[in-house]
Amino acid sequence: MNELEPVVATKACGCPDYDRALSRRSFLKRAGIAGLVAGIASETAFTQLAFGAGAYTGDVLVVLSLRGGMDGLQVVVPTGDPDYLNWRTHVGIPQSTLLSLNDTMFGLHPAFGAIKPLYDSGLLGFVHAVGMSEPNRSHFSAMEEMERAAPGTSLRTGWIDRVIGRRTEGTVFQAMQVGSGMASTAFIGPEPELAMWSVDGFDLSGAWDATERQRWDKVLNALYAGSPTMLGKPARAVLGALATTAQMKDLGYTPANGAVYPDGDLGNALKDVARLIKQGVGLEVAAVDYGDWDMHADMGTVDAGWMHDHLTELGAALFAFATDLGSDMDKVTFTTLTEFGRRVEDNGSGGTDHGYGQLVTLMGGNIKGGAVHLNGAWPTLAESALLDGDLRATTDYRALLSALLQKRCGASTSDVNSIFPGIGGIPLPDVAN
Amino acid sequence: MSATGELAAPREGLSRRALLGRAAAVGGLVALAPQLIDPPDAEALTSAATHDPNLHLLRRATYGPTAASLKRIRKIGRHAWIEEQLRPLKIHDAMVDHLLSSRFPGLKWTIAQANHRVPQFQWDLMFDLGVANLARACWSQRQLFEVMVDFWSNHLNVTNPSDSGWNCRHDYDRTVIRAHALGRFVDMLKASAKHPAMLQYLNNADSSKYEPNENYGRELLELHTVSITGGYNERDMRNSALIMTGYTLDWNTTTFRYDPDRHYTGHVKVMKWSSANANANGYAMAMKYLEYLAHHPSTAKHIASKLCQHFISDTPPQAFVNHLAKVYLKSGTNITPVLRELFNSPTFAHSIGKKVRRPMEDVVATVRTLGLKPDASGKDAMQGLYYLVDDLGNAPAAWPQPNGYPDEAASWASAGGMLGRWNAHLSLSAGWWPNLRQPKMESYIPHPLPKTHGKLVEALAKRLVFRTLPEKQRNAICGFLGVSANTPLTADSAAVGWRLPYVMALILDTPSHGIR
Repeated sequence: MNELEPVVATKACGCPDYDRALSRRSFLKRAGIAGLVAGIASETAFTQLAFGAGAYTGDVLVVLSLRGGMDGLQVVVPTGDPDYLNWRTHVGIPQSTLLSLNDTMFGLHPAFGAIKPLYDSGLLGFVHAVGMSEPNRSHFSAMEEMERAAPGTSLRTGWIDRVIGRRTEGTVFQAMQVGSGMASTAFIGPEPELAMWSVDGFDLSGAWDATERQRWDKVLNALYAGSPTMLGKPARAVLGALATTAQMKDLGYTPANGAVYPDGDLGNALKDVARLIKQGVGLEVAAVDYGDWDMHADMGTVDAGWMHDHLTELGAALFAFATDLGSDMDKVTFTTLTEFGRRVEDNGSGGTDHGYGQLVTLMGGNIKGGAVHLNGAWPTLAESALLDGDLRATTDYRALLSALLQKRCGASTSDVNSIFPGIGGIPLPDVAN
Repeated sequence: MSATGELAAPREGLSRRALLGRAAAVGGLVALAPQLIDPPDAEALTSAATHDPNLHLLRRATYGPTAASLKRIRKIGRHAWIEEQLRPLKIHDAMVDHLLSSRFPGLKWTIAQANHRVPQFQWDLMFDLGVANLARACWSQRQLFEVMVDFWSNHLNVTNPSDSGWNCRHDYDRTVIRAHALGRFVDMLKASAKHPAMLQYLNNADSSKYEPNENYGRELLELHTVSITGGYNERDMRNSALIMTGYTLDWNTTTFRYDPDRHYTGHVKVMKWSSANANANGYAMAMKYLEYLAHHPSTAKHIASKLCQHFISDTPPQAFVNHLAKVYLKSGTNITPVLRELFNSPTFAHSIGKKVRRPMEDVVATVRTLGLKPDASGKDAMQGLYYLVDDLGNAPAAWPQPNGYPDEAASWASAGGMLGRWNAHLSLSAGWWPNLRQPKMESYIPHPLPKTHGKLVEALAKRLVFRTLPEKQRNAICGFLGVSANTPLTADSAAVGWRLPYVMALILDTPSHGIR
């Protein structure tokens, strides 16, 4: 991944685990190139795509993992906190440049301005000072711990797997990682998931046209007819998925409402998620990664550089996603997660180090948008208020996810207590209708 | 969750019940083998696996049969072959020895050497370890040893690569896992407890009487020894952590250090073991505790159960697990007698077709049966193979959690994983990627040339998956070629020309190749 180079090159980071953790995921791109994909004549009816959809009627939950630790204090800036610019003497965003969030405390980084219409119309909102129950400032183990989401227990499964485990059986598209050949650790566990780089790239590498695809489909179905369940079941599942994605390819895809996704992996992945949602294949939970937030050095200025460029791409992708889905946003709940926020005081390299309290971005037709939620008072950046130099977390991210699952995704109290053991009794933030 | 629409198969629980139903129909087999308590998978027996006991042993005790290994086992017999594999140092392994010394010299470095030669915190050596261990799985003659290295790497998992192993994870592989893989478990456990990789991975290096970190103390009981049902409670677990305080690191050199100042003193008790623990130096006391755990009957059952789950079936018969646990205890935690007992047992002999290959096992078996070889120089192709198995979520010892990769079929039964395997079969058969050295395509074509397409498919299946394909599968592959089984084959038929790699891939796609 090219975006990684600044980190590797400067080596100011001191956390090569992250470079590698991410590059480990990006390696897979080289390996995952799936053969030739050509245009296939479109004949199949759209409605067939929805076959087999399960009983689930809640929102599609989309989880965007901002890997590397996004510095939320630079994005939704606590400009009303008198200590902000005292701590951030190198990278602090001047109040005059911020866009209004109709909030006395917070202003928006202008490079993230593409989402402002969504915020203003209530489709998008923020939750600040979110975190795990305890700080974990190691990228790799924080990601694992966040995606396991069961601190103090011996559970080995991921939270998305447990979400699916509480539901009735759906289609092969029920739980997906999009934009990667390997699902994140949130999917670890007994429930199958489907990881794909892209809808168009999901294919048998020998099936270069419709005729070949039919040959492969026929022979593989025959080879697995009557085979042991432990092999036959996934074989039949993938053949079903391939039949569906072939139809999707036949149909092609043009984003609606003039939506323009930014070039790059993030835009492509969110476009595929929107496509899967709109074509009714039974998607219930989708996870997408957008990495390279580990800005220890040379974060840049408000007008240019790493943070500016990253927020520009993120903002454009979120705006395109919401625009493309249009009224379908009513059945979508979207949330970001990042493994930690950043140290309040900036470092001498024009960046920030690993911290704790983080920013979450929510989208959806039924989230409480147009606001920066705090779940209580802003913990403030006063020195005495910090936890080892970090913004405290006032919202446990599992409580936030519980609120989304309960309000929007059909989960009961006992469901969320089972998905997030120990969450019972923790008040859920009021972020969705 | 599973397939779409009308293709939906029953959930796992249902299918288990279905298996039980079938077991009743083959009661005769059960009667023949009193130890075979769990239901035989009749479906697997008839449709996917061959009954040849030599092939069965090679599928389980190696990373996949080859013509050479089959020849060897037929020549000396299964019993002698098992004994041979249980003495790995006596097996000549020149090709892999040379491969390691020429391409992966860093794996022999001490931690001190790695500190000087690897840029701080860079993961090069850990990736080398992953690539090298995959290469050894493919090409080492010491196959059972490599299978056991993988087994123990998962049992005492220190994820590779991960945060803290940059200068010591390769040393953990050499001095903890490989040193004891066919030795005594008690020795491996003690070596792991004081190894810098484990001390960091499960945070015992951070634990002290002032701030006990319970991560290692807990996993030591739950994962490494007695297991979660082993008979301990939370108080035992906290004592387990206190006992291990003092085991820490010299952070400057990443070497083990015992620090009496960090050690908790005072009475400690875990299950039926206790110590006054009055001495500030609790090193020897902690070692005694580890010995107690390694010899605990619950540990014996835990390890026997995992060995059975790996080598026999996903749900091994409890009577046989108990039997192996006794062998383990009687031999003083020695692994070799346990494996000898396992592979020579009727329970093993009757377990044909009851294990499914995990993705790495599938890819390595593919490399082996296709006769692919490592790069002539450098290691690009071997790294490519690593990326391939990593893409399938199964790079060696890379499972991100302390419990190691799951070892039962249900965990790996994913649609995307199946597609990845099929694509890997074609890519490796056709020599597209990764660019391992491959025998000439002509060398896969049987001589003399079979008279019909059906005979060609049969001959290729015999060579690649060591069995005669069921007629329906043979005919389906002929159908893929647009011919029937009786269609004459000539030297210029596509099936022995540009379509040949596709035919080979389809044979590797058959359920037969998915069975371990």
